[in-house]
Amino acid sequence: MAGPGGKKEKVDKADKAGKKKKDLKKETGLGLSVKKDENFGEWFCKHEMIEYYDISGCYILRPWSMAIWEIMQIFFDAEIKKMKVKSCYCPLFVSPGVLEKEKDHIEGFAPEVAWVTKSGKHDLEVPIAIRPTSETVMYPYYSKWIRGHRDLPLKLNQWCNVVRWEFSNPTPFIRSREFLWQEGHTAFATKEEADEEVLQILELYRRIYEEYLAVPVVKGMKSENEKFAGGLYTTSVEAFIPNTGRGVQGATSHCLGQNFAKMFEINYENEKGETAMVWQNSWAYSTRTIGVMIMTHGDDKGLVLPPKVASVQVVVIPVPYKDANTQGIFDACVATVAALEKAGIRAEADLRDNYSPGWKYSNWEMKGVPLRIEIGPRDLENKQVRTVRRDNGVKEDIPSESLVEHVEKLLGEIQQNMFQVAKQKREACVEEVKTWDEFTEALNKKKLILAPWCDEEEVERDVKARTKGETGAAKTLCSPFEQPELPQGTLCFASGKPATKWTYWGRSY
Amino acid sequence: MGASLRLPSLTSLLFPATTRYPSSSLRRTCFLRNRPASSGFATAPSGTASPETKSDAERLRSSDQAVTPRSKDFNAWYLDIIASAELADYGPVRGTMVIRPYGYAIWEAIQEYLNVKFKETGHSNMYFPQFIPYSFIEKEASHVEGFSPELALVTVGGGKELEEKLVVRPTSETIVNHMFTQWIHSYRDLPLMINQWANVTRWELRTKPFIRTLEFLWQEGHTAHATPEEAEKEAKQMIDIYTRFAFEETAIPVIAGRKSRLETFAGADITYTIEAMMGDRKALQAGTSHNLGQNFSRAFETQFQDENGERQHVWQTSWAVSTRFVGGIIMTHGDDTGLMLPPKIAPIQVVIVPIWKKDTEKTGVLTAATSVKEALHTAGIRVKLDDAEQKTPGWKFNFWEMKGVPLRIEIGPRDVSSNCVVVSRRDIPGKAGKVFGISMEPSTLVAYVKEKLEEVQSSLLEKAVTFRDSNIVDVNSYDELKEAISSGKWARGPWCGSDSDEQRVKEETGATIRCFPFEQTGEAKTCLMTGNSAEEVAIFAKSY
Repeated sequence: MAGPGGKKEKVDKADKAGKKKKDLKKETGLGLSVKKDENFGEWFCKHEMIEYYDISGCYILRPWSMAIWEIMQIFFDAEIKKMKVKSCYCPLFVSPGVLEKEKDHIEGFAPEVAWVTKSGKHDLEVPIAIRPTSETVMYPYYSKWIRGHRDLPLKLNQWCNVVRWEFSNPTPFIRSREFLWQEGHTAFATKEEADEEVLQILELYRRIYEEYLAVPVVKGMKSENEKFAGGLYTTSVEAFIPNTGRGVQGATSHCLGQNFAKMFEINYENEKGETAMVWQNSWAYSTRTIGVMIMTHGDDKGLVLPPKVASVQVVVIPVPYKDANTQGIFDACVATVAALEKAGIRAEADLRDNYSPGWKYSNWEMKGVPLRIEIGPRDLENKQVRTVRRDNGVKEDIPSESLVEHVEKLLGEIQQNMFQVAKQKREACVEEVKTWDEFTEALNKKKLILAPWCDEEEVERDVKARTKGETGAAKTLCSPFEQPELPQGTLCFASGKPATKWTYWGRSY
Repeated sequence: MGASLRLPSLTSLLFPATTRYPSSSLRRTCFLRNRPASSGFATAPSGTASPETKSDAERLRSSDQAVTPRSKDFNAWYLDIIASAELADYGPVRGTMVIRPYGYAIWEAIQEYLNVKFKETGHSNMYFPQFIPYSFIEKEASHVEGFSPELALVTVGGGKELEEKLVVRPTSETIVNHMFTQWIHSYRDLPLMINQWANVTRWELRTKPFIRTLEFLWQEGHTAHATPEEAEKEAKQMIDIYTRFAFEETAIPVIAGRKSRLETFAGADITYTIEAMMGDRKALQAGTSHNLGQNFSRAFETQFQDENGERQHVWQTSWAVSTRFVGGIIMTHGDDTGLMLPPKIAPIQVVIVPIWKKDTEKTGVLTAATSVKEALHTAGIRVKLDDAEQKTPGWKFNFWEMKGVPLRIEIGPRDVSSNCVVVSRRDIPGKAGKVFGISMEPSTLVAYVKEKLEEVQSSLLEKAVTFRDSNIVDVNSYDELKEAISSGKWARGPWCGSDSDEQRVKEETGATIRCFPFEQTGEAKTCLMTGNSAEEVAIFAKSY
């Protein structure tokens, strides 16, 4: 597998598990012996979403997941184009000089950079970095392109891959060394415009999670420790995975302030003819979204895909019986798919003759198709089809004549229900704490902790240090924009100083 | 200012013998600033050295000057257009490129069309990692030979020396096959047909924006089949899709055909290509589709069990189109004034320029212009209203002509009172392309604009076909071939020469076999080089 050289970096635990799992699958046919609650890492690697690869931390996105990415892309790209954001593409390669321009920024990213040092057989005189993010690639051009107030706002976005050579536990989608994302970079004349856009984008991220992926998220502000290196402030949407008790940063929208503008001299002449500095934002979401969705909805049978992003929303399976009219059943399946497709529903018939209906049921359940339609002799006779929901297993016989309306309604209900269920599960995990003891107890119970905090960097570092353990330290996830009331005199759970806000804490991905 | 912003000097881009990181400061070009509104784009800057004597580097730095006329210096024109029309900028590492929104929108139009076609023909999109272990590349012998000088290698990651060096993908056949081997077991798993949109890297020495850059964007399709016939059919089908795309969407009359052995992709049995003639009559390979046979499946042991239970190696294809196509569009169409974009792929199809002199006229004109814009936008036409007040209408005319927008609508106070507009075609200069008195009434105007856009599209194609055909010479001897090539044309003649004959032509004339075109006359022929009987004609040309 590793090629003739056989040289390979240390394969992480999840990788090994994934491969072992695959071998097992070959033996047992479907091999869904891993329970979601027991071992999340192993559970993750199935369903034809991704494939492991010889380079640790790099994964192959197979059509089943790529289709989800494309559906989100279509939504988001259209939305930002309405906001007058334009697409562009900046190079993958960054010269060290530019990369090192912003000090805090490079301190944040330097340990994770991958370097090209050779071309063909020759050593490069100066190694060239592969972008971990594109601020430093793009901003010299902003300096060049922006001259007067009429050039503002400048709003660009690119869809691309980025590389962060991390060594901590790679997990498919959630933490990989190469991932796909969009990165938006905008420049404004005033801070007010920048502030406004930060929130507009954050709202789009919330919609991706809640409306498309059916994952409930909290919008909030990142702490000083957790904000983007070199930026002014960072907002994020945060999700929580009840099974593992970990928070996960869903997407971030940063206000960079004028720090980069200063470093890269992004100045413009304002209406009075004076030189002024621009205000900047950057914002991104990545293929991590898919990982969060998988972890939120998956169950012991496999994936559960929300209808809005599923590349196959309905799978139609013939259930022939002994000497029944097999051809008639097959025709009915094909006709059903055609009718659904005509109505814009993504449907597929599984007419393979080398698998039993039962095998097909499990297979498509594992792959998470939201709705299954079965057609057998009796259905044919009664001019009906049987529907089976993936999210709750509910079965229903529906008349063929109102097929499309029924299916549309069901898909809508599934989408809604998945979100509601996920929301209830998350809310059941939220625990308000006031003291350190309550905090550690809640942390051990894998809770999403909401605690009054003094908002001091030192204190967050201290909490991290004190909770350092096998499963990772606790840190702030975000301070929610929707703040519960904070009674006068409330003290910080960790420092005992007066608290200034409620903040979510937890272990995180 | 941190004295230098450390962007590369353009000299380094064009004379890239060194990878040294250049220290020249970023020159803030000031596009068209302080230029009198009356000055046209086409006028050559007076008082400067002629383009011929100016270095390319100097030329590129001067994007605030007029575009060099295409008829005067094609290369200078191309570079000027890219800068002035804001299609691309030079990247921070030599040979790389920043694709700006106006250029990227053309790529998006290409993507939109092809992505649909790929899906219609049964391909699924996916994404493979960018890094390939060096050992993979070595597996297919001719493949590694073809690519090794151009490979970018990552040896350090996260502050540590890597155990195995990683190749930044130059193309993905090796990794694709590595995975196909794991996914394909039986004939039921075939055909397997996938595509990915990605960036690839080839450490080229001579670079040119869009045409040849260290990193470029492309789509690469990869398929595996049970039989050689199916693979051949697929390879042909894809080159056919590219051909239709070139003709119908980009108005580029490419010639589709088969590559010679020497020009075949490293690792393929057969390479099909579409070859386009640029405005300087050099050929551009605009897309390729390879029948890979079993070369990769043997190297990677990609096998399946057929219906009789026997193990067989799969038959494969791969095919690709890249951002190079954008360069092809620029260099096919266009004139001394600037870019000329085919309406179907133009980011802006119609620009509206409102004209007023007195403030009292302004509101009426702008209201009319806005409603015209709305009407066209609603009808699905990509329209831009240029209502900037600090530029004169004359300046705007020149600017949007240079940017290649197919149609311009002018609206002045008199037009408002007569409820009419003036429509000008980019492809017909001056008064001849200008029609007055087109009704502003939405249904009339929309119908008129749509019709005109189609006319522009087909007239660009016709013009390109005429240009192409008048620059291909049928030759029957090596002397005739040399003469055709030295006069800058393409030569088409019977060929059955050997690889070394072909090499000789290349060395002596600078021309290569672009392809054996699919369209052959069928008559008996004599090879122009060897005098033996030849089955096919080949097309020779100098190329990018």
